[in-house]
Amino acid sequence: MSDIRVIGVAAVRRRRRRLPIGVAVAMGVLALAVLAAAFGKAIFPDAMHQDILASTLPPGSPGHPLGTDELGRDVLQMAIAGTASALVGPVIVAIGSMLLGVVMGTLAGYEKGWLDTLISRWTDLLLAVPVLLAAIVVSGVMGGGYWVTVALLIVLFSPSDIRIVRAGVLEQSARPYIEAAQMLSLSRWRVMFRHILPNVTSLVVTNMMLNVAFALVAFSSLSFLGVGVAPGTADWGRQLTDGRAIMFQNPAAVFVPALLIVVVAVCVNLVGDWIGQRLSQVGEEVR
Amino acid sequence: MTVLLSALTVHGPAGVMVEPIDAEIAPGATLALIGESGSGKTLTAKSIVGLLPRGFRATGQVSVARQDLPVTRAGDDAAWRRARGSSVSLLLQDPFTSLTPVHRCGDQIAWTVEVAAGRRLPKGARRAAVEERLAEVNLPARVADAFPHELSGGMRQRVAIAAALASDPQLLIADEPTTALDASNQAEILDLLRRIQLERRLSVILISHDLGVVRGRTDQVLVMRDGKVVERGATAAVLAAPEHPYTRALIEADPVVAARTGARIAEESADGSAEAEPLLVCEGVTKAFGARTVLDSVDLSIAPGAIVGIVGESGSGKSTLARCIAGLEREGDGRIVLGGSPLAPGRASRTPDQVQIVFQDPYSSLNPMMSIGAILAEALGVAGRAASEVPAMLEMVGLPAEFARKRPAELSGGERQRVAIARALAPQPRLLICDESVSALDVSVQADILALLARLRDELGIAILFISHDLAVVRMIADTVTVMWDGRVVESGPCHEVLEHPTHEYTRLLVAAAMRENAVPADGKD
Repeated sequence: MSDIRVIGVAAVRRRRRRLPIGVAVAMGVLALAVLAAAFGKAIFPDAMHQDILASTLPPGSPGHPLGTDELGRDVLQMAIAGTASALVGPVIVAIGSMLLGVVMGTLAGYEKGWLDTLISRWTDLLLAVPVLLAAIVVSGVMGGGYWVTVALLIVLFSPSDIRIVRAGVLEQSARPYIEAAQMLSLSRWRVMFRHILPNVTSLVVTNMMLNVAFALVAFSSLSFLGVGVAPGTADWGRQLTDGRAIMFQNPAAVFVPALLIVVVAVCVNLVGDWIGQRLSQVGEEVR
Repeated sequence: MTVLLSALTVHGPAGVMVEPIDAEIAPGATLALIGESGSGKTLTAKSIVGLLPRGFRATGQVSVARQDLPVTRAGDDAAWRRARGSSVSLLLQDPFTSLTPVHRCGDQIAWTVEVAAGRRLPKGARRAAVEERLAEVNLPARVADAFPHELSGGMRQRVAIAAALASDPQLLIADEPTTALDASNQAEILDLLRRIQLERRLSVILISHDLGVVRGRTDQVLVMRDGKVVERGATAAVLAAPEHPYTRALIEADPVVAARTGARIAEESADGSAEAEPLLVCEGVTKAFGARTVLDSVDLSIAPGAIVGIVGESGSGKSTLARCIAGLEREGDGRIVLGGSPLAPGRASRTPDQVQIVFQDPYSSLNPMMSIGAILAEALGVAGRAASEVPAMLEMVGLPAEFARKRPAELSGGERQRVAIARALAPQPRLLICDESVSALDVSVQADILALLARLRDELGIAILFISHDLAVVRMIADTVTVMWDGRVVESGPCHEVLEHPTHEYTRLLVAAAMRENAVPADGKD
């Protein structure tokens, strides 16, 4: 039974407050990335400036701590200037697909019936579409570009959000507090968005953070394949493609953007997990 | 083969959780641990079987038949399991979750048999052993091939008993073994346990919050509160002449005691008779889920300001009737009339000032993400009342105004149920339905909530439809009682009449269960 509920509440809370070291480090890394995204281009306006004379310098060259690429662009400056392009798109994609998922998932889970069938089949259809392949095809047909990719990825990423929100809403809508809300004759919108949604927030936010990481990788892959950003734009995926040719002359040209993609994706996941856990503890029993 | 507990103490992360307990249980004797949630009775049981949660540890000694059992799980796990595995068994509260859903009942019994035997049995011997165990708990051999979900609650608990006894333990710890069962099953299971115990000369520790379970079926009792034993002695002596004020309060709050003495919480209102125009009338209400008829032409009438009880076991249709009246379920046929005007099926055309419900489980009927203040303000808002009335609503149900800032998780079960009552009353409904609203609460809290409902009826003149599986609880508060069985009303009338002169066979069973009389022979029917 619930005999265990009486354990020192204060002690339990204190333990929960403490920030795990891994999450703290990940937050620090992300803070740096956000700073770089915000100010990178302003600090290094000439990051994409080509200088054939300084082509393919190895790391440690004077003025170029991480060397240069084939076109003589400074690897470090490019990596910092490329942060904005690497972060902004994935964040917009994750937020956009989350909004889409919240609205469609809540409707499907709460209204059920034909609306649920329609939305569920739509997600099945989208899930059957390979993300990268679709992006390549659409870019090929529509001429590509960063914002076309953003819009496309929002749609292609939404099925996971829709399904997760729908499952959470289905679970919550069977709870007695929802029937209590129905007894008050509250409007369905109020029940859906005021009562149910706060109880699935932790799921939604965790999945959004996961999507940031996935979208970051997807964007970089597309740039790597040459269908994401336009050539000459500072972007980690692009930088990775360009650096591949000189991997043995200046390894940093490949490994710096590659490492940044992996590290930032992992950090987003770590922080996302932690936020999701914290959110799910709000309103939870102290046991 | 005496069981000895000496200075058994449970330590938690915040210090001593259960103060030293000493007890001696002779073979064939039963020790009862009585107390409310948080009293430490379950922790004590878990310390004996070694299932304390992480962060907890036990000290002291447990010995069974002069053999010491290690109380701390240190070192070799397998040795630790061997030491207690076959001498102590645990029977849990909920037969719906304590059996594995994906394995046949026979297999679950056979595992324990094989562990106790220390070897795998050949197929024939295994089957024979399982059937023998099932026969001991009055179950037919075919149950061995059934999955738990194919059995009723009472049958499941019998399987659980068979599995717990399959290792031939010397000590059985039964933790609230009948709390999750219907009244008519409770007595059968308890009598079965008692019979087996006497046959096997088994020592039993019976844990319960229900004095009725303990009465007449246990030899010794320990009354626990806040991790301390406050009273101990022979069961009959303690129940007849309690010394500690807490024990006295527990006995007074017990509906069974009240049923025997005739004590009531609400005044029986005399004017709930035929002259007054009834507030609610149900005529021929019928409801089927698929091919199964759950409500078969039910008639019910509630006078203004009356408290009407409905009693019946799970599946009798009492909750479905309540949900039809509330509009949460659509009745298939029949009429529900409130204050002269018919109510259409479903919630769509209903208004919140007609009927409100207080649900059974106060842990899930409040939105965990909303503060108490927000929950009440919303309910006030639908009736056009201002949020500034929240403190008054809290006061009405006996809670301090500062509770408005708290979230449900910070409240106890009784406090939450008070909030749920305040929420239900906020739109000023004409009828309040309490669907098993006190079943999940401790007896003393249960008595408080019943007193609150009776007071609200007197102050607000609201009519209450009070639904419960326990006639002993219903008779404390209701003016009239309606007995439902298998979707039909089998008996109806003023409370004292139904109790004193039950005419239907099922009502007689309920009355016996309410008095906790050992009226039911353990004949294996379920």
